[in-house]
Amino acid sequence: MSIAWKVEHAFDRLMRMTVITLGVLLIAAVCLNFVNVIGRYAFGKALFGADEIQTYSMVWMAFAGAVVVTWRNAHLRMDVLVARAPPWLKAALRFGELILMAATAGIVFVQSWKYAAQMAAMGRASDAAGIPMAIPHSAVAVGFGLIALIALWRMSRPAAPLDAAITETPS
Amino acid sequence: MSFALGLLPVLLLVAGFPIYLVLLTSCTVALMFFMNVPLSVMHQTLFGSIDAFALLAVPFFIYAGELMGRGSVAQRLVDVVQTGIGRVPGSLGVTTVGTAAIFGAISGVSAATVATIGRIMVPAMLRQRYPEHFAAGLITSVGAIDIIIPPSVPMIVYGVAAQESVPRLYAAGIFPGLLIAAMLALYVMWYARRNGIPDGPAFEARRFFLALRRGIWALGAPVIILGGIYGGVFSPTEAAAVACVYAALVTRLVYREVSWREILDAAGSTVVFTAQILIVVACASVFAWLLTVNQVPAVLVRAIEGMQLSPWMILLALNVLLLVVGCFIDPLSAILILTPLLVPVITAAGIHPVHFGIVLTVNLAIGLFHPPFGINIFVAQSVLGLKLPVIYRGILPFLVLYLIALALITYIPAISLAGMRLFF
Repeated sequence: MSIAWKVEHAFDRLMRMTVITLGVLLIAAVCLNFVNVIGRYAFGKALFGADEIQTYSMVWMAFAGAVVVTWRNAHLRMDVLVARAPPWLKAALRFGELILMAATAGIVFVQSWKYAAQMAAMGRASDAAGIPMAIPHSAVAVGFGLIALIALWRMSRPAAPLDAAITETPS
Repeated sequence: MSFALGLLPVLLLVAGFPIYLVLLTSCTVALMFFMNVPLSVMHQTLFGSIDAFALLAVPFFIYAGELMGRGSVAQRLVDVVQTGIGRVPGSLGVTTVGTAAIFGAISGVSAATVATIGRIMVPAMLRQRYPEHFAAGLITSVGAIDIIIPPSVPMIVYGVAAQESVPRLYAAGIFPGLLIAAMLALYVMWYARRNGIPDGPAFEARRFFLALRRGIWALGAPVIILGGIYGGVFSPTEAAAVACVYAALVTRLVYREVSWREILDAAGSTVVFTAQILIVVACASVFAWLLTVNQVPAVLVRAIEGMQLSPWMILLALNVLLLVVGCFIDPLSAILILTPLLVPVITAAGIHPVHFGIVLTVNLAIGLFHPPFGINIFVAQSVLGLKLPVIYRGILPFLVLYLIALALITYIPAISLAGMRLFF
Protein backbone atom coordinates (compact mmCIF):
# COMPACT_ATOMS: atom_id res chain seq x y z
CA MET A 1 0.00 0.00 0.00
CA SER A 2 1.45 3.36 -1.07
CA ILE A 3 1.52 6.46 1.15
CA ALA A 4 -0.90 8.14 -1.28
CA TRP A 5 -3.38 5.29 -0.86
CA LYS A 6 -3.08 5.49 2.93
CA VAL A 7 -3.66 9.26 2.93
CA GLU A 8 -6.68 8.89 0.62
CA HIS A 9 -8.02 6.14 2.86
CA ALA A 10 -7.50 8.28 5.98
CA PHE A 11 -9.34 11.22 4.37
CA ASP A 12 -12.17 8.88 3.33
CA ARG A 13 -12.56 7.59 6.87
CA LEU A 14 -12.44 11.11 8.28
CA MET A 15 -15.20 12.19 5.88
CA ARG A 16 -17.40 9.21 6.78
CA MET A 17 -16.92 9.93 10.49
CA THR A 18 -17.67 13.63 9.91
CA VAL A 19 -20.93 12.87 8.07
CA ILE A 20 -22.08 10.49 10.82
CA THR A 21 -21.14 12.92 13.60
CA LEU A 22 -22.84 15.85 11.90
CA GLY A 23 -25.88 13.67 11.14
CA VAL A 24 -26.18 12.83 14.84
CA LEU A 25 -25.74 16.53 15.63
CA LEU A 26 -28.61 17.37 13.24
CA ILE A 27 -30.89 14.78 14.85
CA ALA A 28 -29.96 16.13 18.28
CA ALA A 29 -30.77 19.69 17.17
CA VAL A 30 -34.16 18.54 15.81
CA CYS A 31 -34.95 16.72 19.06
CA LEU A 32 -33.89 19.70 21.16
CA ASN A 33 -36.11 22.02 19.14
CA PHE A 34 -39.02 19.58 19.38
CA VAL A 35 -38.60 19.16 23.13
CA ASN A 36 -38.53 22.93 23.46
CA VAL A 37 -41.83 23.29 21.56
CA ILE A 38 -43.48 20.57 23.67
CA GLY A 39 -42.05 22.08 26.85
CA ARG A 40 -43.39 25.50 25.98
CA TYR A 41 -46.93 24.32 25.19
CA ALA A 42 -47.29 21.46 27.67
CA PHE A 43 -45.39 22.78 30.68
CA GLY A 44 -45.03 26.49 29.95
CA LYS A 45 -41.25 26.16 30.13
CA ALA A 46 -38.49 26.23 27.52
CA LEU A 47 -34.98 24.84 27.79
CA PHE A 48 -32.65 27.74 28.57
CA GLY A 49 -29.92 28.03 25.93
CA ALA A 50 -31.46 25.48 23.53
CA ASP A 51 -31.43 28.00 20.67
CA GLU A 52 -27.71 28.60 21.16
CA ILE A 53 -26.89 24.88 21.16
CA GLN A 54 -28.87 24.35 17.94
CA THR A 55 -27.36 27.36 16.19
CA TYR A 56 -23.81 26.38 17.10
CA SER A 57 -24.53 22.84 15.89
CA MET A 58 -25.52 24.37 12.56
CA VAL A 59 -22.28 26.38 12.48
CA TRP A 60 -20.37 23.09 12.74
CA MET A 61 -22.64 21.51 10.11
CA ALA A 62 -21.88 24.37 7.73
CA PHE A 63 -18.10 24.52 8.06
CA ALA A 64 -17.23 20.87 8.85
CA GLY A 65 -19.83 19.81 6.26
CA ALA A 66 -18.08 22.02 3.71
CA VAL A 67 -14.97 19.86 4.16
CA VAL A 68 -16.97 16.78 3.09
CA VAL A 69 -18.41 18.73 0.15
CA THR A 70 -14.87 19.74 -0.85
CA TRP A 71 -13.60 16.16 -0.56
CA ARG A 72 -16.50 14.93 -2.74
CA ASN A 73 -15.92 17.80 -5.19
CA ALA A 74 -19.61 18.66 -4.83
CA HIS A 75 -19.59 22.44 -4.32
CA LEU A 76 -22.20 24.49 -6.16
CA ARG A 77 -20.63 26.00 -9.26
CA MET A 78 -21.55 27.31 -12.68
CA ASP A 79 -19.63 24.84 -14.84
CA VAL A 80 -21.77 24.81 -17.98
CA LEU A 81 -19.19 26.74 -20.01
CA VAL A 82 -16.13 24.91 -18.70
CA ALA A 83 -17.79 21.55 -19.40
CA ARG A 84 -17.23 22.21 -23.12
CA ALA A 85 -13.59 23.29 -22.72
CA PRO A 86 -10.70 21.12 -24.00
CA PRO A 87 -9.15 18.74 -21.43
CA TRP A 88 -5.92 20.74 -21.06
CA LEU A 89 -7.89 23.89 -20.17
CA LYS A 90 -10.04 21.97 -17.69
CA ALA A 91 -6.89 20.59 -16.02
CA ALA A 92 -5.31 24.06 -15.86
CA LEU A 93 -8.46 25.59 -14.37
CA ARG A 94 -8.71 22.76 -11.86
CA PHE A 95 -5.11 23.38 -10.76
CA GLY A 96 -5.78 27.13 -10.52
CA GLU A 97 -8.85 26.39 -8.42
CA LEU A 98 -6.79 24.28 -6.01
CA ILE A 99 -4.18 27.03 -5.65
CA LEU A 100 -6.87 29.62 -4.87
CA MET A 101 -8.61 27.20 -2.51
CA ALA A 102 -5.42 26.49 -0.56
CA ALA A 103 -4.52 30.20 -0.40
CA THR A 104 -7.90 31.66 0.60
CA ALA A 105 -8.85 28.80 2.93
CA GLY A 106 -5.38 29.09 4.48
CA ILE A 107 -5.86 32.83 5.11
CA VAL A 108 -9.29 32.28 6.66
CA PHE A 109 -7.88 29.42 8.76
CA VAL A 110 -5.16 31.69 10.24
CA GLN A 111 -7.64 34.49 11.01
CA SER A 112 -10.25 32.15 12.49
CA TRP A 113 -7.70 30.25 14.54
CA LYS A 114 -6.44 33.52 16.07
CA TYR A 115 -10.02 34.58 16.82
CA ALA A 116 -10.96 31.26 18.44
CA ALA A 117 -7.72 31.31 20.47
CA GLN A 118 -8.57 34.82 21.67
CA MET A 119 -12.02 33.62 22.72
CA ALA A 120 -10.43 30.74 24.63
CA ALA A 121 -7.86 33.04 26.26
CA MET A 122 -10.56 35.48 27.38
CA GLY A 123 -12.73 32.62 28.65
CA ARG A 124 -15.78 33.96 26.78
CA ALA A 125 -18.91 31.84 27.07
CA SER A 126 -22.33 32.12 25.41
CA ASP A 127 -24.98 34.13 27.26
CA ALA A 128 -27.60 31.45 27.87
CA ALA A 129 -26.05 27.98 27.60
CA GLY A 130 -22.62 28.99 28.88
CA ILE A 131 -20.86 27.26 26.00
CA PRO A 132 -17.21 28.37 25.63
CA MET A 133 -17.29 30.58 22.53
CA ALA A 134 -14.03 29.05 21.31
CA ILE A 135 -16.03 25.91 20.40
CA PRO A 136 -18.40 27.42 17.80
CA HIS A 137 -15.74 29.85 16.51
CA SER A 138 -13.22 27.06 16.00
CA ALA A 139 -15.65 25.43 13.50
CA VAL A 140 -14.61 28.06 10.93
CA ALA A 141 -10.92 27.40 11.56
CA VAL A 142 -11.29 23.61 11.47
CA GLY A 143 -13.43 23.74 8.32
CA PHE A 144 -11.19 26.03 6.31
CA GLY A 145 -8.01 24.40 7.68
CA LEU A 146 -9.12 21.01 6.38
CA ILE A 147 -10.27 22.51 3.07
CA ALA A 148 -6.78 24.02 2.64
CA LEU A 149 -5.25 20.64 3.51
CA ILE A 150 -7.40 18.83 0.93
CA ALA A 151 -6.46 21.42 -1.70
CA LEU A 152 -2.74 21.03 -0.92
CA TRP A 153 -3.04 17.24 -1.05
CA ARG A 154 -4.77 17.34 -4.42
CA MET A 155 -2.23 19.85 -5.76
CA SER A 156 0.48 17.33 -4.91
CA ARG A 157 -1.26 14.75 -7.10
CA PRO A 158 -2.29 16.62 -10.25
CA ALA A 159 -2.45 13.41 -12.30
CA ALA A 160 -4.87 11.70 -9.92
CA PRO A 161 -8.45 11.42 -11.23
CA LEU A 162 -11.03 13.76 -9.77
CA ASP A 163 -13.42 12.27 -7.28
CA ALA A 164 -16.79 11.46 -8.72
CA ALA A 165 -18.75 14.64 -8.28
CA ILE A 166 -22.08 14.36 -6.55
CA THR A 167 -24.68 15.74 -8.88
CA GLU A 168 -27.50 16.42 -6.45
CA THR A 169 -28.05 20.06 -5.72
CA PRO A 170 -30.26 21.35 -2.99
CA SER A 171 -32.54 23.46 -5.05
CA MET B 1 -12.04 47.90 -6.09
CA SER B 2 -14.20 47.34 -9.17
CA PHE B 3 -11.67 44.65 -10.16
CA ALA B 4 -12.06 42.78 -6.85
CA LEU B 5 -15.84 43.09 -6.55
CA GLY B 6 -16.78 43.20 -10.24
CA LEU B 7 -14.39 41.73 -12.79
CA LEU B 8 -12.70 39.05 -10.65
CA PRO B 9 -15.90 37.31 -9.46
CA VAL B 10 -17.30 37.27 -13.00
CA LEU B 11 -14.07 35.77 -14.37
CA LEU B 12 -13.90 33.10 -11.67
CA LEU B 13 -17.61 32.31 -12.05
CA VAL B 14 -17.26 31.83 -15.81
CA ALA B 15 -14.17 29.68 -15.19
CA GLY B 16 -16.41 27.28 -13.28
CA PHE B 17 -14.87 27.75 -9.83
CA PRO B 18 -17.02 26.83 -6.82
CA ILE B 19 -19.30 29.76 -5.97
CA TYR B 20 -18.12 29.97 -2.36
CA LEU B 21 -14.53 30.19 -3.64
CA VAL B 22 -15.45 32.90 -6.16
CA LEU B 23 -16.91 35.01 -3.35
CA LEU B 24 -14.18 34.25 -0.82
CA THR B 25 -11.36 35.00 -3.26
CA SER B 26 -12.95 38.30 -4.30
CA CYS B 27 -13.38 39.30 -0.65
CA THR B 28 -9.82 38.31 0.24
CA VAL B 29 -8.39 40.30 -2.68
CA ALA B 30 -10.56 43.32 -1.81
CA LEU B 31 -9.56 43.25 1.86
CA MET B 32 -5.86 42.61 1.28
CA PHE B 33 -5.17 44.95 -1.62
CA PHE B 34 -7.89 47.59 -1.77
CA MET B 35 -9.11 48.23 1.78
CA ASN B 36 -7.62 49.15 5.10
CA VAL B 37 -9.69 46.77 7.22
CA PRO B 38 -8.36 43.97 9.47
CA LEU B 39 -8.72 40.51 7.91
CA SER B 40 -10.40 39.29 11.08
CA VAL B 41 -13.59 40.87 9.72
CA MET B 42 -13.80 37.85 7.40
CA HIS B 43 -14.04 35.46 10.32
CA GLN B 44 -16.56 37.63 12.16
CA THR B 45 -18.84 37.87 9.11
CA LEU B 46 -18.48 34.20 8.12
CA PHE B 47 -19.39 33.12 11.64
CA GLY B 48 -22.05 35.77 12.21
CA SER B 49 -23.92 34.91 9.01
CA ILE B 50 -24.45 31.27 10.06
CA ASP B 51 -25.03 32.10 13.72
CA ALA B 52 -28.69 32.81 12.88
CA PHE B 53 -31.57 30.82 14.38
CA ALA B 54 -33.82 31.43 11.34
CA LEU B 55 -31.37 29.56 9.10
CA LEU B 56 -31.94 26.35 11.08
CA ALA B 57 -35.14 25.94 9.06
CA VAL B 58 -32.97 25.11 6.02
CA PRO B 59 -31.48 21.80 7.32
CA PHE B 60 -34.72 20.95 9.14
CA PHE B 61 -36.97 21.31 6.07
CA ILE B 62 -34.46 19.45 3.88
CA TYR B 63 -34.37 16.64 6.46
CA ALA B 64 -38.18 16.41 6.64
CA GLY B 65 -38.37 16.17 2.82
CA GLU B 66 -35.53 13.64 2.75
CA LEU B 67 -37.36 11.39 5.25
CA MET B 68 -40.74 11.72 3.50
CA GLY B 69 -39.15 10.90 0.14
CA ARG B 70 -37.71 7.58 1.37
CA GLY B 71 -40.90 5.62 2.02
CA SER B 72 -44.12 5.26 0.05
CA VAL B 73 -45.38 8.74 1.00
CA ALA B 74 -45.33 9.94 -2.62
CA GLN B 75 -47.29 6.89 -3.84
CA ARG B 76 -49.90 7.39 -1.11
CA LEU B 77 -50.28 11.07 -2.05
CA VAL B 78 -50.66 10.11 -5.72
CA ASP B 79 -53.41 7.63 -4.81
CA VAL B 80 -55.33 10.24 -2.79
CA VAL B 81 -55.15 12.86 -5.56
CA GLN B 82 -55.94 10.38 -8.36
CA THR B 83 -58.97 8.83 -6.69
CA GLY B 84 -60.10 12.29 -5.58
CA ILE B 85 -60.17 14.01 -8.96
CA GLY B 86 -62.13 11.25 -10.73
CA ARG B 87 -62.97 11.35 -14.44
CA VAL B 88 -61.34 14.46 -15.80
CA PRO B 89 -59.43 14.74 -19.09
CA GLY B 90 -55.76 13.89 -18.55
CA SER B 91 -56.38 12.69 -15.01
CA LEU B 92 -52.85 11.26 -14.65
CA GLY B 93 -51.31 14.57 -15.72
CA VAL B 94 -53.57 16.49 -13.36
CA THR B 95 -52.65 14.00 -10.61
CA THR B 96 -48.97 14.74 -11.29
CA VAL B 97 -49.58 18.47 -10.83
CA GLY B 98 -51.71 17.99 -7.70
CA THR B 99 -49.27 15.59 -6.07
CA ALA B 100 -46.31 17.87 -6.83
CA ALA B 101 -48.17 20.79 -5.21
CA ILE B 102 -48.89 18.76 -2.06
CA PHE B 103 -45.36 17.33 -1.98
CA GLY B 104 -44.14 20.92 -2.36
CA ALA B 105 -45.90 21.74 0.87
CA ILE B 106 -43.76 19.10 2.58
CA SER B 107 -40.35 19.22 0.97
CA GLY B 108 -39.22 22.57 -0.47
CA VAL B 109 -36.53 20.94 -2.65
CA SER B 110 -37.45 20.87 -6.35
CA ALA B 111 -35.15 18.13 -7.66
CA ALA B 112 -36.47 15.73 -5.00
CA THR B 113 -40.02 16.24 -6.29
CA VAL B 114 -39.05 15.55 -9.90
CA ALA B 115 -37.28 12.34 -8.89
CA THR B 116 -39.84 11.09 -6.35
CA ILE B 117 -43.07 11.92 -8.21
CA GLY B 118 -41.51 11.26 -11.62
CA ARG B 119 -40.58 7.66 -10.75
CA ILE B 120 -44.27 6.95 -10.14
CA MET B 121 -46.08 9.16 -12.64
CA VAL B 122 -43.93 9.07 -15.79
CA PRO B 123 -44.20 5.27 -16.34
CA ALA B 124 -47.93 5.48 -15.51
CA MET B 125 -48.47 8.30 -18.05
CA LEU B 126 -46.53 6.42 -20.74
CA ARG B 127 -48.69 3.32 -20.15
CA GLN B 128 -51.79 5.51 -20.63
CA ARG B 129 -50.51 6.61 -24.09
CA TYR B 130 -49.37 10.10 -23.08
CA PRO B 131 -46.69 11.22 -25.57
CA GLU B 132 -43.22 10.80 -24.04
CA HIS B 133 -42.24 14.44 -24.66
CA PHE B 134 -45.39 15.65 -22.88
CA ALA B 135 -44.77 13.46 -19.81
CA ALA B 136 -41.11 14.55 -19.80
CA GLY B 137 -41.99 18.25 -20.06
CA LEU B 138 -44.67 18.03 -17.39
CA ILE B 139 -42.56 16.25 -14.76
CA THR B 140 -39.49 18.40 -15.40
CA SER B 141 -41.40 21.66 -15.07
CA VAL B 142 -43.86 20.72 -12.33
CA GLY B 143 -41.06 20.35 -9.76
CA ALA B 144 -40.47 24.09 -9.91
CA ILE B 145 -43.76 24.66 -8.04
CA ASP B 146 -42.00 23.14 -5.06
CA ILE B 147 -39.88 26.20 -4.30
CA ILE B 148 -42.83 28.58 -4.75
CA ILE B 149 -45.32 26.78 -2.50
CA PRO B 150 -44.16 27.02 1.13
CA PRO B 151 -42.05 25.69 2.76
CA SER B 152 -39.36 26.83 0.37
CA VAL B 153 -35.64 26.77 1.05
CA PRO B 154 -34.91 29.64 -1.42
CA MET B 155 -37.47 31.82 0.40
CA ILE B 156 -35.71 31.21 3.72
CA VAL B 157 -32.42 32.24 2.13
CA TYR B 158 -34.03 35.34 0.55
CA GLY B 159 -35.62 36.19 3.90
CA VAL B 160 -32.24 36.05 5.61
CA ALA B 161 -30.43 37.96 2.83
CA ALA B 162 -33.13 40.67 2.54
CA GLN B 163 -33.90 40.72 6.27
CA GLU B 164 -37.53 40.00 5.44
CA SER B 165 -39.95 37.86 7.45
CA VAL B 166 -39.98 34.23 6.26
CA PRO B 167 -43.60 33.56 7.37
CA ARG B 168 -44.72 36.61 5.33
CA LEU B 169 -42.82 35.28 2.32
CA TYR B 170 -44.35 31.85 2.80
CA ALA B 171 -47.84 33.34 2.96
CA ALA B 172 -47.12 35.35 -0.19
CA GLY B 173 -46.01 32.20 -2.05
CA ILE B 174 -49.29 30.31 -1.58
CA PHE B 175 -51.45 31.97 -4.26
CA PRO B 176 -48.70 32.22 -6.92
CA GLY B 177 -47.95 28.51 -6.36
CA LEU B 178 -51.63 27.59 -6.65
CA LEU B 179 -52.01 29.84 -9.71
CA ILE B 180 -49.20 28.02 -11.50
CA ALA B 181 -50.58 24.62 -10.45
CA ALA B 182 -54.04 25.59 -11.77
CA MET B 183 -52.60 26.82 -15.08
CA LEU B 184 -50.62 23.60 -15.52
CA ALA B 185 -53.66 21.45 -14.67
CA LEU B 186 -55.89 23.34 -17.14
CA TYR B 187 -53.28 22.99 -19.88
CA VAL B 188 -52.98 19.24 -19.18
CA MET B 189 -56.77 18.87 -19.44
CA TRP B 190 -56.90 20.82 -22.70
CA TYR B 191 -53.99 18.84 -24.16
CA ALA B 192 -55.52 15.51 -23.14
CA ARG B 193 -58.90 16.37 -24.67
CA ARG B 194 -57.26 17.56 -27.90
CA ASN B 195 -55.03 14.49 -28.26
CA GLY B 196 -57.58 11.84 -27.35
CA ILE B 197 -55.84 10.73 -24.15
CA PRO B 198 -58.32 8.58 -22.22
CA ASP B 199 -59.98 10.05 -19.10
CA GLY B 200 -59.31 8.49 -15.73
CA PRO B 201 -61.79 6.23 -13.91
CA ALA B 202 -64.92 7.86 -12.49
CA PHE B 203 -64.89 9.05 -8.88
CA GLU B 204 -65.76 6.28 -6.43
CA ALA B 205 -66.23 7.28 -2.82
CA ARG B 206 -65.08 3.86 -1.58
CA ARG B 207 -61.76 4.00 -3.49
CA PHE B 208 -61.18 7.59 -2.44
CA PHE B 209 -61.74 6.95 1.24
CA LEU B 210 -59.54 3.86 1.07
CA ALA B 211 -56.74 5.94 -0.47
CA LEU B 212 -57.38 8.69 2.05
CA ARG B 213 -57.07 6.23 4.91
CA ARG B 214 -53.74 4.97 3.53
CA GLY B 215 -52.49 8.52 2.89
CA ILE B 216 -53.87 10.39 5.86
CA TRP B 217 -50.55 10.40 7.73
CA ALA B 218 -48.72 11.68 4.65
CA LEU B 219 -51.29 14.47 4.25
CA GLY B 220 -50.73 15.41 7.88
CA ALA B 221 -47.27 16.82 7.19
CA PRO B 222 -48.34 19.90 5.16
CA VAL B 223 -51.21 20.45 7.61
CA ILE B 224 -48.78 20.53 10.53
CA ILE B 225 -46.23 22.74 8.73
CA LEU B 226 -48.58 25.32 7.23
CA GLY B 227 -51.24 25.13 9.93
CA GLY B 228 -48.57 25.48 12.60
CA ILE B 229 -46.97 28.53 11.01
CA TYR B 230 -50.17 30.39 10.08
CA GLY B 231 -52.01 29.33 13.20
CA GLY B 232 -49.30 31.14 15.13
CA VAL B 233 -48.31 27.91 16.89
CA PHE B 234 -44.75 27.61 15.56
CA SER B 235 -42.07 29.74 13.98
CA PRO B 236 -40.91 28.34 10.58
CA THR B 237 -37.86 26.80 12.29
CA GLU B 238 -40.01 25.07 14.90
CA ALA B 239 -42.50 23.93 12.23
CA ALA B 240 -39.57 22.41 10.34
CA ALA B 241 -38.34 20.56 13.45
CA VAL B 242 -41.83 19.27 14.21
CA ALA B 243 -42.12 18.16 10.56
CA CYS B 244 -38.84 16.20 10.93
CA VAL B 245 -40.08 14.37 14.03
CA TYR B 246 -43.44 13.74 12.37
CA ALA B 247 -41.78 12.43 9.18
CA ALA B 248 -39.48 10.14 11.19
CA LEU B 249 -42.37 8.75 13.25
CA VAL B 250 -44.66 8.25 10.23
CA THR B 251 -42.07 6.55 8.01
CA ARG B 252 -40.52 4.48 10.84
CA LEU B 253 -43.38 3.61 13.19
CA VAL B 254 -46.61 4.03 11.19
CA TYR B 255 -45.63 2.90 7.67
CA ARG B 256 -42.64 0.82 8.92
CA GLU B 257 -40.72 1.47 5.69
CA VAL B 258 -37.60 3.21 7.00
CA SER B 259 -35.09 1.74 9.45
CA TRP B 260 -33.32 3.70 12.20
CA ARG B 261 -30.15 3.35 10.12
CA GLU B 262 -31.90 5.03 7.16
CA ILE B 263 -33.03 7.86 9.43
CA LEU B 264 -29.37 8.46 10.30
CA ASP B 265 -28.37 8.12 6.61
CA ALA B 266 -30.98 10.73 5.70
CA ALA B 267 -29.48 13.03 8.34
CA GLY B 268 -26.04 12.51 6.76
CA SER B 269 -27.35 13.38 3.27
CA THR B 270 -29.10 16.42 4.70
CA VAL B 271 -25.92 17.67 6.35
CA VAL B 272 -24.04 17.49 3.04
CA PHE B 273 -26.86 19.32 1.20
CA THR B 274 -26.97 21.89 3.98
CA ALA B 275 -23.23 22.48 3.90
CA GLN B 276 -23.40 23.04 0.13
CA ILE B 277 -25.86 25.85 0.77
CA LEU B 278 -24.54 27.36 3.99
CA ILE B 279 -20.93 27.72 2.88
CA VAL B 280 -22.25 29.89 0.03
CA VAL B 281 -24.47 31.79 2.50
CA ALA B 282 -21.42 32.48 4.71
CA CYS B 283 -19.15 33.66 1.89
CA ALA B 284 -21.95 35.67 0.24
CA SER B 285 -22.43 37.52 3.52
CA VAL B 286 -18.82 38.72 3.46
CA PHE B 287 -19.30 39.75 -0.18
CA ALA B 288 -22.56 41.56 0.63
CA TRP B 289 -20.87 43.36 3.54
CA LEU B 290 -18.08 44.53 1.23
CA LEU B 291 -20.61 45.73 -1.37
CA THR B 292 -22.45 47.69 1.32
CA VAL B 293 -19.41 49.35 2.91
CA ASN B 294 -18.22 50.31 -0.58
CA GLN B 295 -21.68 51.77 -1.26
CA VAL B 296 -22.23 49.68 -4.40
CA PRO B 297 -26.02 49.22 -3.84
CA ALA B 298 -26.39 52.98 -3.17
CA VAL B 299 -24.55 53.82 -6.41
CA LEU B 300 -26.75 51.34 -8.27
CA VAL B 301 -29.91 52.88 -6.80
CA ARG B 302 -28.79 56.39 -7.80
CA ALA B 303 -27.94 55.22 -11.33
CA ILE B 304 -31.35 53.56 -11.78
CA GLU B 305 -33.15 56.54 -10.24
CA GLY B 306 -31.26 58.72 -12.73
CA MET B 307 -32.76 56.73 -15.59
CA GLN B 308 -36.24 57.62 -14.25
CA LEU B 309 -37.62 54.17 -15.00
CA SER B 310 -41.13 53.34 -13.86
CA PRO B 311 -41.53 50.40 -11.43
CA TRP B 312 -42.98 48.16 -14.16
CA MET B 313 -39.97 48.81 -16.40
CA ILE B 314 -37.61 48.04 -13.51
CA LEU B 315 -39.50 44.80 -12.90
CA LEU B 316 -39.33 43.94 -16.60
CA ALA B 317 -35.58 44.55 -16.67
CA LEU B 318 -35.10 42.54 -13.47
CA ASN B 319 -37.19 39.67 -14.86
CA VAL B 320 -34.99 39.48 -17.95
CA LEU B 321 -31.85 39.63 -15.78
CA LEU B 322 -33.14 36.96 -13.38
CA LEU B 323 -34.27 34.61 -16.15
CA VAL B 324 -30.82 34.79 -17.76
CA VAL B 325 -29.06 34.35 -14.39
CA GLY B 326 -31.40 31.48 -13.49
CA CYS B 327 -30.30 29.60 -16.61
CA PHE B 328 -26.72 29.45 -15.39
CA ILE B 329 -26.63 29.71 -11.58
CA ASP B 330 -28.58 27.69 -9.01
CA PRO B 331 -31.36 29.66 -7.27
CA LEU B 332 -29.76 29.83 -3.83
CA SER B 333 -26.44 31.22 -5.06
CA ALA B 334 -28.26 33.67 -7.33
CA ILE B 335 -30.41 34.90 -4.42
CA LEU B 336 -27.38 35.37 -2.19
CA ILE B 337 -25.39 37.25 -4.82
CA LEU B 338 -28.20 39.44 -6.18
CA THR B 339 -30.37 40.23 -3.15
CA PRO B 340 -28.02 42.78 -1.53
CA LEU B 341 -27.80 44.60 -4.87
CA LEU B 342 -31.43 44.43 -5.96
CA VAL B 343 -33.41 44.95 -2.75
CA PRO B 344 -32.26 48.59 -2.35
CA VAL B 345 -33.17 49.21 -6.01
CA ILE B 346 -36.68 47.78 -5.75
CA THR B 347 -37.32 49.41 -2.38
CA ALA B 348 -36.36 52.79 -3.82
CA ALA B 349 -38.76 52.15 -6.71
CA GLY B 350 -41.61 51.49 -4.26
CA ILE B 351 -41.84 47.73 -4.93
CA HIS B 352 -42.70 45.65 -1.87
CA PRO B 353 -39.73 43.41 -0.86
CA VAL B 354 -42.09 40.48 -0.21
CA HIS B 355 -43.62 40.84 -3.69
CA PHE B 356 -40.13 41.04 -5.15
CA GLY B 357 -39.10 37.94 -3.17
CA ILE B 358 -41.87 35.98 -4.88
CA VAL B 359 -41.00 37.39 -8.33
CA LEU B 360 -37.36 36.45 -7.70
CA THR B 361 -38.32 32.93 -6.59
CA VAL B 362 -40.60 32.34 -9.61
CA ASN B 363 -37.87 33.55 -11.99
CA LEU B 364 -35.30 31.25 -10.43
CA ALA B 365 -37.84 28.40 -10.32
CA ILE B 366 -38.14 28.74 -14.11
CA GLY B 367 -34.34 28.50 -14.27
CA LEU B 368 -34.61 25.07 -12.62
CA PHE B 369 -36.12 23.57 -15.79
CA HIS B 370 -35.15 26.14 -18.41
CA PRO B 371 -33.20 24.61 -21.33
CA PRO B 372 -30.38 23.99 -21.74
CA PHE B 373 -28.99 23.73 -18.19
CA GLY B 374 -31.87 23.59 -15.69
CA ILE B 375 -31.03 21.10 -12.93
CA ASN B 376 -34.45 19.40 -13.15
CA ILE B 377 -33.71 18.49 -16.78
CA PHE B 378 -30.69 16.51 -15.68
CA VAL B 379 -32.59 14.91 -12.79
CA ALA B 380 -35.28 13.78 -15.26
CA GLN B 381 -32.58 12.52 -17.60
CA SER B 382 -30.59 10.57 -15.01
CA VAL B 383 -33.30 9.34 -12.64
CA LEU B 384 -36.13 8.78 -15.11
CA GLY B 385 -34.02 7.76 -18.11
CA LEU B 386 -35.60 10.35 -20.42
CA LYS B 387 -33.64 11.60 -23.44
CA LEU B 388 -32.52 15.25 -23.55
CA PRO B 389 -34.09 16.15 -26.95
CA VAL B 390 -37.40 14.65 -25.75
CA ILE B 391 -37.28 16.70 -22.54
CA TYR B 392 -36.35 19.91 -24.38
CA ARG B 393 -39.25 19.43 -26.81
CA GLY B 394 -41.68 18.72 -24.01
CA ILE B 395 -40.66 21.65 -21.82
CA LEU B 396 -41.47 24.46 -24.28
CA PRO B 397 -45.28 24.73 -23.73
CA PHE B 398 -44.78 24.55 -19.96
CA LEU B 399 -42.10 27.24 -20.17
CA VAL B 400 -44.61 29.50 -21.95
CA LEU B 401 -47.18 28.82 -19.18
CA TYR B 402 -44.67 29.68 -16.46
CA LEU B 403 -43.71 32.90 -18.28
CA ILE B 404 -47.38 33.92 -18.47
CA ALA B 405 -47.72 33.15 -14.75
CA LEU B 406 -44.55 35.15 -14.06
CA ALA B 407 -45.99 38.15 -15.93
CA LEU B 408 -49.22 37.92 -13.90
CA ILE B 409 -47.34 37.57 -10.60
CA THR B 410 -44.99 40.43 -11.49
CA TYR B 411 -47.61 42.95 -12.61
CA ILE B 412 -50.45 42.01 -10.26
CA PRO B 413 -48.75 42.33 -6.84
CA ALA B 414 -52.06 41.40 -5.18
CA ILE B 415 -51.52 37.75 -6.22
CA SER B 416 -48.56 37.62 -3.83
CA LEU B 417 -49.52 40.24 -1.28
CA ALA B 418 -53.09 38.95 -0.79
CA GLY B 419 -51.74 35.80 0.86
CA MET B 420 -49.49 37.86 3.11
CA ARG B 421 -52.33 40.20 4.11
CA LEU B 422 -54.64 37.26 4.72
CA PHE B 423 -52.39 35.83 7.41
CA PHE B 424 -50.60 38.91 8.78
